[in-house]
Amino acid sequence: MNAAPSRLSHRTITQIGRYEAVDLHGIDKDLALTLYSQMLRLRRTEEALHREYHPAEEMRCPIHFCIGQEAVPAALSALVRPDDFMFSHHRSHGYYFAKGAPMRELFAEIYGRETGANGGKAGSQDISHSGSHFYSGAILAGAVSIAVGAAFGFQHAKTRQISISGFGEGATDEGAFWEAMNYSGKKRLPILFVIENNRYATFSDQLKRQAEDNIVERVTPFGVRATQIFGNDVALAWRTLHTEISRLREGDGPVLVEAYTYRWNSHVGPEDDSANAYRSGDEIAFWKTNCPIALFENKLRLQHWLNDDEKDAIEQEIAGEIAANFQFAKDSAFPTDTDWHRMTYEDASPLADALLGTAAGGNFDHYQADAKLGPY
Amino acid sequence: MARQLSYANAILEATDQAMALCDKVVVLGQLVDTQSGIFGTTTGLVTKYGTERVQDFPVAENLMTATAMGAALTGLRPVVCHQRLDFMIYSLDAITNWLALWRFKSNGKSAMPVTIRTIVGKGWGQGPQHSKSLHAWFAHLPGLRVAVPSTAYDIKGLLLESILGETPTIFVEGRGLYSMTDHVPEQPYRVRFGQAVVRRHGRDVTLVAIGSMVPIALRAATLLEKEGIDVEVLDPRTLTPLDRHSICQSVAKTRRLVVADPAWHSFGAAAEIITSVSEEIGDQLRAKPIRVTLPDSHTPMSMALEPRYYPADDDLVVALKQAVS
Repeated sequence: MNAAPSRLSHRTITQIGRYEAVDLHGIDKDLALTLYSQMLRLRRTEEALHREYHPAEEMRCPIHFCIGQEAVPAALSALVRPDDFMFSHHRSHGYYFAKGAPMRELFAEIYGRETGANGGKAGSQDISHSGSHFYSGAILAGAVSIAVGAAFGFQHAKTRQISISGFGEGATDEGAFWEAMNYSGKKRLPILFVIENNRYATFSDQLKRQAEDNIVERVTPFGVRATQIFGNDVALAWRTLHTEISRLREGDGPVLVEAYTYRWNSHVGPEDDSANAYRSGDEIAFWKTNCPIALFENKLRLQHWLNDDEKDAIEQEIAGEIAANFQFAKDSAFPTDTDWHRMTYEDASPLADALLGTAAGGNFDHYQADAKLGPY
Repeated sequence: MARQLSYANAILEATDQAMALCDKVVVLGQLVDTQSGIFGTTTGLVTKYGTERVQDFPVAENLMTATAMGAALTGLRPVVCHQRLDFMIYSLDAITNWLALWRFKSNGKSAMPVTIRTIVGKGWGQGPQHSKSLHAWFAHLPGLRVAVPSTAYDIKGLLLESILGETPTIFVEGRGLYSMTDHVPEQPYRVRFGQAVVRRHGRDVTLVAIGSMVPIALRAATLLEKEGIDVEVLDPRTLTPLDRHSICQSVAKTRRLVVADPAWHSFGAAAEIITSVSEEIGDQLRAKPIRVTLPDSHTPMSMALEPRYYPADDDLVVALKQAVS
């Protein structure tokens, strides 16, 4: 049985060959089919967006497709509560779905329509859905830091909510990431850091940027409990995250889970970026062989929890949803409001209105010396 | 005599009253929980409100700002305090890439009631890394409000308005102003953003003075009174929003404009104010507008050079005389 070694590295991970360690322990049929459907829905959505991007040219924003990285978001989708907050990077669609935000607002946003999650102002890489407590952004580690603040808020309010910060290993190059480790570890904040380590920051190998690919070892001394998993095994991802999220809700945080996975597509857009020759055919073949959906589907079929008819039904439902949402996006109006001030500033201040009055000032005496500073 | 408070004590009173009025207000900053309390502006708050609401923070300014943002998303109203603006520069990512555009990119669905206080040193050899007044940088960013209060009365009202408001705001506080007293009413009150105040009425020349230039401007105006030059001194109080209307109204009367800005000469708030006036009523000006600023150079430490670097009463007198000549 080919399982992942206890210490993972992209340098050696292809030695696993075909991963055969999918284990349904702790997962019942309903949950299994939920995880499977979530992965398939994300995959089919990304494939459809990828297919439609050119030559239609109606999605005029950078999209960072996450095909191949479906397992972690699917596992999270089955574990987060509606009142948890989730923060993602630019490769955001998986997390957007994981938080339960609606597909139609994603599609309309990408199409730059008024009905989009952000009225067409954010696009794929900056999308947020505040009703679902989902936020994202393209500047690495910025959202990681804001996620720390949400955890601060939850700790302050003494709730059982948690903050989830999803990002790639590229963000761990940033100083802001290490500030986040230091502070969340010191404060024992209820935050889950999920690294989807797909090896490359755009085209740059982690080991071109960092001396060692041992993030979990480096964060531990900060007081951040950390674990590595083979990130294409959705059952393992669910079990790991289930345990860690339960501990977080009991106040036993923070935690970091590093999931080794891979993006099948280019860094951004449907264009082929293989001219940069940054990854090998063998590596790509390994990860496609160990497709998170195929691995799990094989297990479900062996378990007799999924057959062709059942799969077809799931596929049809997803295809219908995607088609309807393309239509919704294309039928929606473009934004026309150009009140830039209103878009940018909140002029209302209801709390100040309720609590503050006015009071007259006096005459300022301008013959006062500057404050005398000392050495401090 | 009406109740007097120093600028520093007015900050403390505003923060204290905001915390009393709203239990969502929290204070974050390095050493905010100590007796010295950011030059007296947070002293005693930890005793009154506890360590949950008054929290020291690691020396990690970027994370501090981002933490305030995330906390604001959960309903808190953080007040972030920086002992010196120069350290705050570490947080430019949080401010520029996230805070300023948060409302915009959420399509107005998500607010960021975060107040950032930052202090600009002046004197006693603060030197080039303890004295930069970068209010124009922040005022350049859409989505933020920038306050440059010059009096204790103003900073109390503006702070309360900001902490209990919905828009992210940066306060650039001149350290030299900290000991200056003013009449400060005891009750919590608001001062609106975007409302300039005429500190001295005059008819010959308009002097727009920003932040720590305000007392200097008023002194220069008083000196010129003896020479028969009647200076109107206008304090914008906030740069974003900027009360262009009141500034133009004053200049329309005096036909002459001098701007005193405690920041570098080029690409600054003074340039913005002169441009705004020129665009609106430039054809009514009777003299070339003048800006009185710091030179385009860094702050020297030496006590011999400091007074030559910072514009003082005399420099304003010269500029004002030139404007009316």
